[in-house]
Amino acid sequence: MKRAWIIAKNSLQEALRKKTLYILVVVALVVIGASRLFSFLSAEEEMKMIRDVSFSTIEFFGALIAIFGALGAISTELEKRTIYTLLSKPIGRREFILGKFIGQSMILLINYVLMCAFFIGLLLIKKSPPDIETLKTLILIYMELLMISSITLMVATFASDAFNLVFSFFLYIVGHLMSYGRQMMERTANVIVKGLSDMLYTLVPNYENFNIKDKVVVGVKVSWLYVVQTVGYGFIYLAIALFLAVYFFQKREV
Amino acid sequence: MAIIETKDLTKVFVLGRNREVTALNKINLAVEEGEIFGILGPNGSGKTTCLKILLGILFASSGETYIMGKGPFDLTMKKEIGFLPENPYYYDYLTGPELLTFYGRLFEIPPATLRSRVEEMLRLVNLQDVRRLSLRHYSKGMLERIGLAASMLNNPKVLILDEPTTGLDPIGCKETRDLLVDLKKQGKTVLLSSHFLSEVERVCDRIGIFHRGVLLTVGKLDVLQQQYKASNLEELFVKTITEFDRQHPVA
Repeated sequence: MKRAWIIAKNSLQEALRKKTLYILVVVALVVIGASRLFSFLSAEEEMKMIRDVSFSTIEFFGALIAIFGALGAISTELEKRTIYTLLSKPIGRREFILGKFIGQSMILLINYVLMCAFFIGLLLIKKSPPDIETLKTLILIYMELLMISSITLMVATFASDAFNLVFSFFLYIVGHLMSYGRQMMERTANVIVKGLSDMLYTLVPNYENFNIKDKVVVGVKVSWLYVVQTVGYGFIYLAIALFLAVYFFQKREV
Repeated sequence: MAIIETKDLTKVFVLGRNREVTALNKINLAVEEGEIFGILGPNGSGKTTCLKILLGILFASSGETYIMGKGPFDLTMKKEIGFLPENPYYYDYLTGPELLTFYGRLFEIPPATLRSRVEEMLRLVNLQDVRRLSLRHYSKGMLERIGLAASMLNNPKVLILDEPTTGLDPIGCKETRDLLVDLKKQGKTVLLSSHFLSEVERVCDRIGIFHRGVLLTVGKLDVLQQQYKASNLEELFVKTITEFDRQHPVA
């Protein structure tokens, strides 16, 4: 694990120096800041709007950072052939993949904390400090982003960047629509369609589980039990994705 | 016992439906400890493929490879070797010392030792004056030199160098040759692949000639020259390849 950590720090150093993902964070901060333009609404409605826009922005731009970060993590090493020298050193392919994931998680965390800090700062300016439900929302969003990152990294071990980009975004959208889609499929009498729907529901990560902002924004409380269960659900997907990433990369000729 | 060994090493690349290319065909190579062994061959002859399989970067279709008696995925073996790839690329946002420190940490070299070792390597390859320059501003020759430094950082027993003098000026080539001779005096084993016949002639104890995935001949240069009635390495190279092509015409 020590060598995985060295790879992770190298990835973080690369991201900090290349500054490519900062653009997304800057745009996110602008969007969050723009939610202040709803001052014509009542104070309560304005706060709801600020929270809603901010949560959505953090989640969406966080997903972009997770996908684009993980996308380049392995492909850059392959395209630039830095992987040849790296694999000639005493580092296993499993350590390399874990190190890349840890590095991406750290990059994601730094960007995520920046966006959250800006959002919380905005709340404090509006004299509406964040409550425990806000914390739960942000925890679940970050877990969702880690899942997205791990799945994108897994696909990167065997597929091209173009395929991975399309697949990751498709999965992001489908993952948020899974529950609605399943409800609709349950009305059909077609056994094959129902079976396919059940299979998809089992395989595709249900990102909507992590979306509690609609409840939190209107003041509904979410239990810690739900948060813990959902985080556990996320870790299962994350573990499977990383296991598969290691498996595929060990089979891959570079 | 040979320190680098391949036994019936074969590599077949599958390019598509019903299309295969045999990059290596039952290669039996044995490099003795303490020698400088040069592998020559035209482009696409299988030299780099052979080196990559030795290092576990590519997988053999069949056959075995060993370095110091260990397989290509053995991490204890990798602690004792150094590798310089062909046309090396490195993390362009790092400086020379940062790159060497990164690799040094992978070798688990203690921090104080690593610091002095990095300085020593930078001086050896004459890059100590550009320590603050990031690698994206390095010339091709500078990249070769930092690559050479990275390959020797862990004081390896075995060095595998793929085209080590590509991009180097005549002074750089001479310095690399002198370095290789010095490494041999230290008892290290060097397996190098090169297109520069004059370089190979000057430093290698034995050579092997690859062509179309086959190891045509192996031995000491003077013995091979006598065997093939060649006056120099270039003539030997051309004769062995021409003879093989005559006996095995391309379909």
